[in-house]
Amino acid sequence: MSEAPLQGSIITSQLIASLAARTTLETPGVLRLEPTVQGFLARLGPAALRHLRNPGSQNGTYRHDGVTATISNGTARVHLDIATDIAFTALDVAETVQRRVRESISHTGLTPGAIDITILAIEHHRGPTIM
Amino acid sequence: MALDDVPRLGCGRSIDSIWATIERPPTAHEEQCDHCQTARTRLERLSEETRALRESDVHDPALKPGPGIKDAIMDVARAEVRRGSRILLRSADNGTTEISEQALSSLVRFAAAAIPGVHSRRCRIEIRPAASSIAGEDDPSGTAGNATTAGPRLIVNLRVAAAPGIDIPLMAEVLRHEISNAIPAGVGIGAGTVNITVEDLYDV
Repeated sequence: MSEAPLQGSIITSQLIASLAARTTLETPGVLRLEPTVQGFLARLGPAALRHLRNPGSQNGTYRHDGVTATISNGTARVHLDIATDIAFTALDVAETVQRRVRESISHTGLTPGAIDITILAIEHHRGPTIM
Repeated sequence: MALDDVPRLGCGRSIDSIWATIERPPTAHEEQCDHCQTARTRLERLSEETRALRESDVHDPALKPGPGIKDAIMDVARAEVRRGSRILLRSADNGTTEISEQALSSLVRFAAAAIPGVHSRRCRIEIRPAASSIAGEDDPSGTAGNATTAGPRLIVNLRVAAAPGIDIPLMAEVLRHEISNAIPAGVGIGAGTVNITVEDLYDV
């Protein structure tokens, strides 16, 4: 029996996106991830997504509501679109999210790449949206 | 001889051309031609059934969107608007942080809503890179935002309507102060220049 380590990997861009989303939503000051058209269609049902769905892969990009994850040569990059609570300083919230997501990614064995964040909205918690 | 895949009647006319004019009265040829008359009769029936199905779908409660669908569509629409114009707040090897102009505008509007007698209207935010900011170069009134993290320099242009009888210079000063505090507290960067234009009075 070979002693060589298994080369296979089950870490996909979809898994990284899911991990990043969960980590982000657990960060104090984050109200939500901002929805995308694709995420909306995903909630409508699988049929609506049949032609748009981009299943995660070990070398590819996965997009869902507010999260884009890309794995390339063992490095995972993430882009997050978030809404923050006005009671928090948005830049501090974004910095915490970046640090936490990097930590989460490093636990998968992948190298964390750039964690880019766009603050799309700042609102009162449970408050109305002002546009 | 050119071949095409368009179904044709015995008289040479295509089915498509009859379908395209099914809502109009028959032409002189169609009134005389048996092929065209048969085709028209069948297509009129199809047209009628299609129209009935369309009408039925419009009024079918089973095909009405659920109560959350409209909200979800509006959420996506708002998010897409916010994705339009963004300002780079910080760039480092481990990633960038941007903010949408809409998010900054909403912060400014929240600040303005705290001042009695002020209705905020259009808010535009311009950005000047940190490197081009000159020390001491601030708004004409001399009121600058509280300096916090080094970053881009904002120029906030807010148009408001004021209540009649309000002390406008005092209101503008209070409003500017409120905005200059709200941006560092809410975003973590200095407010830069805050230009306020009182463009109208509103009825209380």
